[in-house]
Amino acid sequence: MSMIDELQTLGVNTEEGLGRFMNKASLYERMLGKLPKAVADSETLPCFENGDLQAAEVNAHTLKGVMGNLSVTPLYEGYSEVVRLLREGDPIGARTELERILPIQEKIIACILANA
Amino acid sequence: MRKRHTILIVDDMEINRELLANAFEEAYDILQAEDGEEALAIINSGTHVAAVLLDLMMPKVNGLAVLENMNHTGKIRQIPVFIITAADSEKMLMDAYHLGAVDVIMKPYLMQFLRCRVDHMVELYMHRNDLEEIVHEQVAQLSALNQSMIETLATIIEFRDCESGEHVRRICNLTDILMTTIGEIYPEYALPRTEVEKIVNSAVLHDVGKIAIPDAILNKPGRLTDEEFKTMKLHTVRGCEILQKIPSIMTEDVYNYSYDICRHHHERWDGRGYPDGLKGDEITIWAQVVALADVYDALTSPRCYKKAFSHEKAVEMIFNNECGVFNPKLLYAFQKCMEEVRLAHFSILGEQEME
Repeated sequence: MSMIDELQTLGVNTEEGLGRFMNKASLYERMLGKLPKAVADSETLPCFENGDLQAAEVNAHTLKGVMGNLSVTPLYEGYSEVVRLLREGDPIGARTELERILPIQEKIIACILANA
Repeated sequence: MRKRHTILIVDDMEINRELLANAFEEAYDILQAEDGEEALAIINSGTHVAAVLLDLMMPKVNGLAVLENMNHTGKIRQIPVFIITAADSEKMLMDAYHLGAVDVIMKPYLMQFLRCRVDHMVELYMHRNDLEEIVHEQVAQLSALNQSMIETLATIIEFRDCESGEHVRRICNLTDILMTTIGEIYPEYALPRTEVEKIVNSAVLHDVGKIAIPDAILNKPGRLTDEEFKTMKLHTVRGCEILQKIPSIMTEDVYNYSYDICRHHHERWDGRGYPDGLKGDEITIWAQVVALADVYDALTSPRCYKKAFSHEKAVEMIFNNECGVFNPKLLYAFQKCMEEVRLAHFSILGEQEME
């Protein structure tokens, strides 16, 4: 099973993603390969733990954009919700949503790393 | 073949930059910056950038600050800026539009659409920039042509007045030095450099009305009779009448300055000048400056009715009010730049003409 097929089973909208990359699977895979570092650079949970809600919003906003471009739909929707809740002044709800999507994120990152 | 242009991608996330670079590298050269500071360094370095794809939320200098700087430098008129965003606040996006961003591209975006939008805008801006350059060149040519027509006219008058055309150049130089100095010392007389340049160009025509004065009076070697002096004084008013007939050879600003200088460069601070008997600051500072420059030049130049006085003698006569009373602030500025005036003036006049 290719990485793209595996990611599809984890909820990634690979059809849309491939379309976005002009159906160039190698290009799409190469960009997906950069996702682990992007996630590590913008970790959001530590920001909540440090009480830095502004940084949490910036990082969640950044990952929302990345996930959207790569069609990692479950995480795109999750980070969108985190950003929305933070902007509405609901940090507890935002953290709950983040904690909900982190296991999904872990699986997606693991899949990408395993295929690297 | 279409010329390859350069696109600048500004985003703190490498993956986002890579995504965009991949979309555009086929048709464009790509430059990347990971924050606003790096982006501005590239934009302001003179590198030709055809479009900027700009993230808003970035460390150090953010996207809005990049737009602000581009407004300040005028680059925003030359380079289309696209905001690439994952739905920032509405206020932020409105701020970006108000600061001149041409378009907002929401993430996730479709590469094909993004490329079309950027391609079209780059083409539009290139066309506009080319047109602006052509217009700018044509305006400069026209302006140079007009200025040379004005200078030719002034030179003809000077030759008729037993002088070389250099009088005009000397008056312009002195006007420039005096306007700059008085503006530096007294804020109430300070004008932007562009205005000073217009005034300097306008000073050229201060004596255009002499063309209407009979040769017998204009070139009389001896002292003028009261009646002749009355005729001579009319050159200020006649000059304005001439200017009214040729307004199209100069811009409106230069016309207004020229008219004022032509009419009022013989007014004096105490109200005893002509033709209108204005006094004090009723006389514009540029007319006062040209008046002083004219007197200094007349004193230090040989005329058909007198020899040239030395710089020192001319200064003494001006400060003794022997040529009418001048604004004390103008005289103070004159004193401050006297050495500059002397050097500039005599480099044109030539020491051999000195007494």
